[in-house]
Amino acid sequence: MNEILKFENVNYFYQTKDDEIFAIDNLSFNVLENEFVSIVGPSGCGKTTILSLIAGLLSPSSGKVMLDGSTKIDRRKIGYMFQRDMLFDWRSVWKNITLGLELKKEDVKKKLELAEELLKKYNLYNFKNKKPSSLSGGMRQRVALIRTLVLEPRLLLLDEPFSALDYQTRLNLCDDVYDIIKKEKKTAILVTHDIAEAISMSDKIIVLSSRPARVKDEITLNLAGKTPLKKRDDDSFRGYFEKIWGELTNEEKNN
Amino acid sequence: MKKKITNFSLAHKKYVKKLKKDKFLVIFFRIFVLVAFLGLWELLTYTKALDPFFVSSPSRIIKQLESMISSGTLFHHTFVTLYETLIGFLIATVLGYLIAVGLWWNEKVRKVFEPYIVVLNSLPKIALGPIIILWVGAGTNAIILMCVLICIVITTMSMLSAFLNCDEGKILLLKSMNANKFQILWKLILPASMKDFISVLKINVGMSFVGSIMGEYLTSKAGLGYLIVYGGQIFKIDLVMSATFILCILAYLLYAIVSLIEKKYRN
Ligand SMILES: Nc1ncnc2c1ncn2[C@@H]1O[C@H](COP(=O)(O)OP(=O)(O)O)[C@@H](O)[C@H]1O
Ligand SMILES: [Mg+2]
Repeated sequence: MNEILKFENVNYFYQTKDDEIFAIDNLSFNVLENEFVSIVGPSGCGKTTILSLIAGLLSPSSGKVMLDGSTKIDRRKIGYMFQRDMLFDWRSVWKNITLGLELKKEDVKKKLELAEELLKKYNLYNFKNKKPSSLSGGMRQRVALIRTLVLEPRLLLLDEPFSALDYQTRLNLCDDVYDIIKKEKKTAILVTHDIAEAISMSDKIIVLSSRPARVKDEITLNLAGKTPLKKRDDDSFRGYFEKIWGELTNEEKNN
Repeated sequence: MKKKITNFSLAHKKYVKKLKKDKFLVIFFRIFVLVAFLGLWELLTYTKALDPFFVSSPSRIIKQLESMISSGTLFHHTFVTLYETLIGFLIATVLGYLIAVGLWWNEKVRKVFEPYIVVLNSLPKIALGPIIILWVGAGTNAIILMCVLICIVITTMSMLSAFLNCDEGKILLLKSMNANKFQILWKLILPASMKDFISVLKINVGMSFVGSIMGEYLTSKAGLGYLIVYGGQIFKIDLVMSATFILCILAYLLYAIVSLIEKKYRN
């Protein structure tokens, strides 16, 4: 399979007036096409920073971030779903979903059709002309997801997209997102601090150390072909969970 | 979707009834305060407990207004003040807004001008009166300029801080969608600051009257401020009170218009 993303000895420092924060320490990993990769690590270790580097919102202090073999990152290939839904509350649901299309000047007729289709599929069609303030947390997050998907990105970046939701909504949305990503043959990187979520969604998990982020472990999972909810019942699930749990607690102790 | 309830419980009916009653009481007492104030004023001056020569009286104000309406001067003076105020208001709002956009756009320029804006803001603008008259001459232009000076700095400062307060995450979202700076301004910064803009409008309505009346105190041949100064000089309190009364009505009307715009925008 093709390599879509490659980190090569990436370092990143945040510069502030009276400090230099070492966030990413000599990080190397890669992501293959159609792969679902999760990044887990203690909070504040640099996970969001990694996604910002991939999205081209930050450039590495040293080392290389390559998307499709190029260090010049083409933002149009990337769909970034943030931790908060970032919906514009003065725009209707529909206007929020088509925000990215508005920014482009190319022909978007096909993508508008896709937007309609996704709205129907995720039971949001009745809310098309409503303002986001009338939606529940789970619905808002689904709107944010559709806003990302209509741009048909090659690589999806998901920054703890489910963390603000209640457990039930979260499990359902996980299944939905997994479903779409697999159906549409997307590549995705999910940042999370929920180990079970990472195991149930991914083909590969990258475990990070606490700040500055280093790759502590890279685990390839063997659970393909099941939905996230079913994976949680798999016999090997527990083994993976304990392994990662151990690595993360170890990391917290060292701090 | 939820069904709309049509057969309400007794508790709800009671609650709505109480709401209506409370609202009625507020309106009733509002009118009562006004009537009581005017009544007492009239009574005290009628019985000569207060000298109407110094405090005027409702009936004398009405008479004054009547005579000014029939001679056509009331309309003229009101129009002059309204004209100065509106032009000053418009120039200050538009210009102040554009300057704020410019300062948002360029961080270096913003940093350079920051202290000057602070000084301009705390400077009492009336101090510039004589300079204004020297530069643009006595008359309408000087009054409008005074009005603009009073409103523009606060417009720029309020809008700039609203622009800068915009959610950083939303800016990142647009950047991740490959938006350029103009698109960030147009799709996010300006609509997100609409609420602040409406409060600026509300402040400016009041401030632009301060500007035009102050300007008229300084130099004028007509207008409500002129009537107030003139009335004071010739000891005609009826005239002063009448002009003040009209001013109250104008200020309220403009404020009501802005509130209407606000309501429209909300929906
Ligand atoms: N803009 C910034 N300036 C300075 N330090 C930052 C900035 N953004 C993040 N950091 C710091 O970098 C570290 C990593 O942040 P982040 O990538 O957001 O962590 P995570 O997403 O894993 O919780 C944190 O310690 C944070 O305080
Ligand atoms: Mg984070």
